[in-house]
Amino acid sequence: MTDISAQTEALGGLLTRDRIVRWAPILVLVALVLLFPFFEFLSDLLEGKEHVYLLDSRFFSIRNGARIGIAATPALMVAVGATFIIIMGSIDLSMEGTISVCAVLFAFAFLGWGGTLASWAWLAIPLALVVGAILGFVNGMIHVRLKIPSFMASLAMGFVGTGLALLLTGGDRLRVEDELFRSLLTVRWLNFPIMCYVALAFLLLAWFIQSHTALGRNFYAVGGGEQLAQSSGLNVARVRIMGFTLAGIFFAVGALLAVGRIGIAETATGNNFMFVSITAVVVGGTALWGGIGGVWNTLVGVQIVNVINNGMVVIGLPPYVQDGVLGALVILAVALSTNRRSVTFVK
Amino acid sequence: MNLERIKPHFPWMTLLALVCVVGAANPAFFDPLGLLSLVTDVVPLFIMALGMTFAIYIGGIDLSAQQVANMVTVVATVYLSQFGIGVAVICILAGFLFGAVSGFVTTRLYVPSFVSTLAMGFVALSAAKYLSGQRALSMDVTERNTSFGWMFDSTAGVPHQLAIAIVLLAVAWFLQTRTSFGRALKAVGSGELAAVASGLNVDRVKILAFAISGAFAGIAGLVFSVKLSGGDANLANGFLLLAIVAVLVGGTPLTGGVGGVINTAIGTLIVMVIRAAMVYLEVSATQQQMVFGVVLIVAIALTIDRSKLSGVVK
Repeated sequence: MTDISAQTEALGGLLTRDRIVRWAPILVLVALVLLFPFFEFLSDLLEGKEHVYLLDSRFFSIRNGARIGIAATPALMVAVGATFIIIMGSIDLSMEGTISVCAVLFAFAFLGWGGTLASWAWLAIPLALVVGAILGFVNGMIHVRLKIPSFMASLAMGFVGTGLALLLTGGDRLRVEDELFRSLLTVRWLNFPIMCYVALAFLLLAWFIQSHTALGRNFYAVGGGEQLAQSSGLNVARVRIMGFTLAGIFFAVGALLAVGRIGIAETATGNNFMFVSITAVVVGGTALWGGIGGVWNTLVGVQIVNVINNGMVVIGLPPYVQDGVLGALVILAVALSTNRRSVTFVK
Repeated sequence: MNLERIKPHFPWMTLLALVCVVGAANPAFFDPLGLLSLVTDVVPLFIMALGMTFAIYIGGIDLSAQQVANMVTVVATVYLSQFGIGVAVICILAGFLFGAVSGFVTTRLYVPSFVSTLAMGFVALSAAKYLSGQRALSMDVTERNTSFGWMFDSTAGVPHQLAIAIVLLAVAWFLQTRTSFGRALKAVGSGELAAVASGLNVDRVKILAFAISGAFAGIAGLVFSVKLSGGDANLANGFLLLAIVAVLVGGTPLTGGVGGVINTAIGTLIVMVIRAAMVYLEVSATQQQMVFGVVLIVAIALTIDRSKLSGVVK
């Protein structure tokens, strides 16, 4: 998939830097999934209760798995969108605003056009995707045409988006109570709600775009070496703008799932998505420098973040610890994935 | 007329133009008492922007400023009864420490500052929630008045809050223009590789710049919590955008190296006038964030030094 062997130094044959970076995320995920049940095992043991490791675990159960799945799906879509951008070596911090605008406009259109999926209100779904694409496109245009570094362009666009959502709602909450739409959450196949399968479908789509389309390969080309890509005739500006547009569409999908999950669209719908999704992408092993990683890494990263969040609740740690743990995790992940020989300095 | 030559004069001309426009639309704007209270209101924001200037001046950014200020409002409220006015030292040290860690992570662990400060911001948020027990705390009024009551007085018509801002501006200006550290900042901001090559300890300069940014964010949080007589993990939310806008419209570009703390003073006044104008022109509060987001994009686009981006804008 990604060949970075040219940059890697051998750390004794088997344990190359390349291999460590590639496999660390999945190992961390497995370790976490085994670790949290162990805490439960210990605490039950101390209280003298009968507890068969893993089998009796509250964490390691299908119900909790579904809970993690539900919590993870909107963030997964957002993180997948951000993955494309980070593969290009840019970053997108606009998701909170984009999600809020998409969610709010979706809810307005949905309620205005009938309020149930069985009517013309289903058109609100493509509308939300188009809105996401437009916001992403504007974001990309500002970044590329005005030559503003992407973190700042997207941060500013995020503020504009949140402001726009606030302007549209005036601070109100919009309730989307259509049973058909809410079946995303309420109807379960094999213990998992439909939204998990929707997310899976979009994940496969993202994987297809990443690996089997010219656009996907171009993301890697831009991330691996922008000047090289430019001089081999690639229209880098166009690839970047399309990347941001694509990310906007995935943010919109995330917004729809978020609305489906809680049944409410408001300015605060987008809150917390930015940090969680960026964390998930980098923890999954997609390097901030670009060119390395992909949507499967992001799937692992999102699961790591959500397993940590969920596991801390299950073993009884206060929720406020999570923010700090995620903060430390981001720093660790970025620091570990950085090849210091290829970086001269960072701003 | 050369655009590059008049560029440094943009900020104060913008300020002047804005003041004239707003004043013409609403002559009540020039009421001295009203103006004074407007300026006093913007003091915590100004202090945060002053700190942010150091981070941006070296070509970085400090996205943790808002969360550090949030945390400090909690620290100040929790420890006020125990330490009295001494709580100020704790607040500044806490901010300094967080900034220093961000700087360390940026320089030694090679994590870009926008990620490292974002992450440290969440660590600060965690700390704030832990200390506050996730509740909005309020200060004991008598204790606040014995320790910090002087902040609300004024001498010869100058409110003491404003005096604090002016003193801090003077300190920051002295640091920036009259010390070797200030020259080092300029060197790092103008061209980091050249600064390394000329033997400067660039890492130390950068860590110190982030630490100063953190310390000022701490002071901003302290002043804000005293003003509102309380602390909460979300109290200072909304400051980050305005602080970045203040630095950038003041004429310190995202690429660093030019501008400085005086520019930030002008930038903060511009933000203040825009906000006041929106109130006079009856633009609702909900629209303000959008307006400032757009102002931010315009300000960056106008000030950024594209030659430094060396053809690659990531």
